[in-house]
Amino acid sequence: MGNVVKERGLVLEKTFVAVGKQLTQAGVGQKVLELILIGVVFLILVPFLGAHRATDFAIFCIIVLSFDLLYGYMGRLSFGHLLYVGVGAYTVGLALRYLTTNPLLAIVLGIVAACLAGMAVGAITVRIAGAAFALANLAFNRVGWFLVMSPLKDITGGENGLSIRNLSFWYVNFRNPTFRFWFVLASLLLVFLLLRVFTSSSYGVLLRSIKEDEKRVRFLGYNTQFYKWVTFVLAATVAGFGGALTALNYGYVNPNTLDVHANAGIVFACLLGGSGRLYGALLGGIIYMLITNLLPVYFQRWEFFLGVALLLIVFRFRGGIWGGLEALYSGLAARAKSGSSKEGMSR
Amino acid sequence: MSLLTTSGLTKRFGGLVAVNSVDLRIEENETLGVIGPNGSGKTTLFNLLSGFFPPTAGRIFFQGRDVTHLSPEERVKMGMVRTFQLVSVFNSLKVWENLAPCVAWKSGMYHSLWRFMTTPAASTWADSLEALKLVGLEGQAEAIAGELSYGDRRLLEIALALSLRPKLLLLDEPFSGLSDVEIAKVLALLKSLKGKITIGIIEHKISMIVDFVDRLCVMNEGRIICEGNPSEVLTNPLVNECYWGKQETLERAGVSGV
Ligand SMILES: Nc1ncnc2c1ncn2[C@@H]1O[C@H](COP(=O)(O)OP(=O)(O)O)[C@@H](O)[C@H]1O
Ligand SMILES: [Mg+2]
Repeated sequence: MGNVVKERGLVLEKTFVAVGKQLTQAGVGQKVLELILIGVVFLILVPFLGAHRATDFAIFCIIVLSFDLLYGYMGRLSFGHLLYVGVGAYTVGLALRYLTTNPLLAIVLGIVAACLAGMAVGAITVRIAGAAFALANLAFNRVGWFLVMSPLKDITGGENGLSIRNLSFWYVNFRNPTFRFWFVLASLLLVFLLLRVFTSSSYGVLLRSIKEDEKRVRFLGYNTQFYKWVTFVLAATVAGFGGALTALNYGYVNPNTLDVHANAGIVFACLLGGSGRLYGALLGGIIYMLITNLLPVYFQRWEFFLGVALLLIVFRFRGGIWGGLEALYSGLAARAKSGSSKEGMSR
Repeated sequence: MSLLTTSGLTKRFGGLVAVNSVDLRIEENETLGVIGPNGSGKTTLFNLLSGFFPPTAGRIFFQGRDVTHLSPEERVKMGMVRTFQLVSVFNSLKVWENLAPCVAWKSGMYHSLWRFMTTPAASTWADSLEALKLVGLEGQAEAIAGELSYGDRRLLEIALALSLRPKLLLLDEPFSGLSDVEIAKVLALLKSLKGKITIGIIEHKISMIVDFVDRLCVMNEGRIICEGNPSEVLTNPLVNECYWGKQETLERAGVSGV
């Protein structure tokens, strides 16, 4: 009996090492494989959650990925990241109401609007160092909230939000949950691929350098303000994409899309999965959504578990779940290397 | 024309005058040593030259151009590169990754921001390795920089500086904290650079660089008290006073201070 368990464990271990080896390699075929893997994970989620929920998860992952670029890679924590989600969502809602009947065009407009908002706000906030950066962004997020709720109430619908009627156009039909799922999954894969390219370039290395010691980077001849701004805008743009998709997934935009309190959830998801790691952001996004969707069913005071998890991460697993897996992988791979000669003897 | 000159360069920290109207001159391809007791303002002087903070008064000219108010990155682009008294490299990155953005930029690999953002860092591997070979670290390219010995990190910092193709290289106590073997390594590297680029080197212990530099500047209490070729400087009574007779100097300061 014990032998069977042991062998199963061994197979599991070998699979784990093999998959890890694949993921740490580079190349085009490699990237395709990764995309398929991510797609499969979401397809597995569909029967359990339903297409609509799974779509929600994927959108959340896009937003967490965008945040990870800013926070995980460049080391700049913002409490106002949802402003861009909101800008993307409201732009889609308003565009489909007043400008166009084409949801794809509305998405493009949403992305452009978030990009412009990021350019404007980023130009001011990236100059600010430390905690004040997080708070300055929070302030702008509050301004966005105020605009939606008060001066622009007549077009945004204020607290009641804005429902979208033009959801289908040509073959594009956002009324259909299956279409929405595939569309959002494709979007997630696109975002992932894009960020994968950016973060593994010299620019990606520069981001991690800025995270460690910005001042030192300036003495290497880099205008760090500029690169921080570029990154801020990029993160805002991707977040805007996530917001645009949120609007279409619900056929409805409400002020919750830019509620500053939800920002904590994104930070949490990022840390949980492992910040500064794209797979960490994906894993964190999925697990965070699972926790917040499932735990309340079983426990009334489920936030307690979030708190415990956060403490565990902060004190014990700084690399989050993905960081833990990486450490496990490098340990097992090293053991596999040194143990391959001994294996024959133990049999 | 000198490569770098300063006029009346002054830095005050509250009541303390860390650098006091310094007129410095560094010639093209010269190796200049800056010595002086602890706290005499050597690091502050280099901080001013490299743009770490602005001077309270005075000007800095590089290749005839006024660079007093240029940012550090603009000065680096002109060819003014420095290292730090406490080794400063990116400890969380791999050794070769430390160099990736710099060699990519310097080798003109990227014509645009987009290329910079999308070309894999790994494509700089060959250039990074080349830069590491210069300091003999190519064997540790894949190691995490923070796990290197202090001496090796110093070598990495110098490789980083050299990868920026400096015209003027400012080294702040490159030997401090290093073992004798490591010092010999760094010194050999610097000797191979001598005459090819302009070097400014701060050192606390005179004996370390006396054979290596073309000219010495001695700083004390924010001023350059004497400069000239090494043998001249070392026989100057003022220098001996500030190094060995500090107590006496302090006592007489009130009387003889002009
Ligand atoms: N950033 C700073 N703020 C305040 N005082 C400083 C600063 N940097 C240096 N000093 C002071 O200026 C004086 C010169 O320091 P420094 O230039 O580091 O000397 P050295 O490098 O010759 O040992 C010292 O008294 C030091 O305390
Ligand atoms: Mg010093």
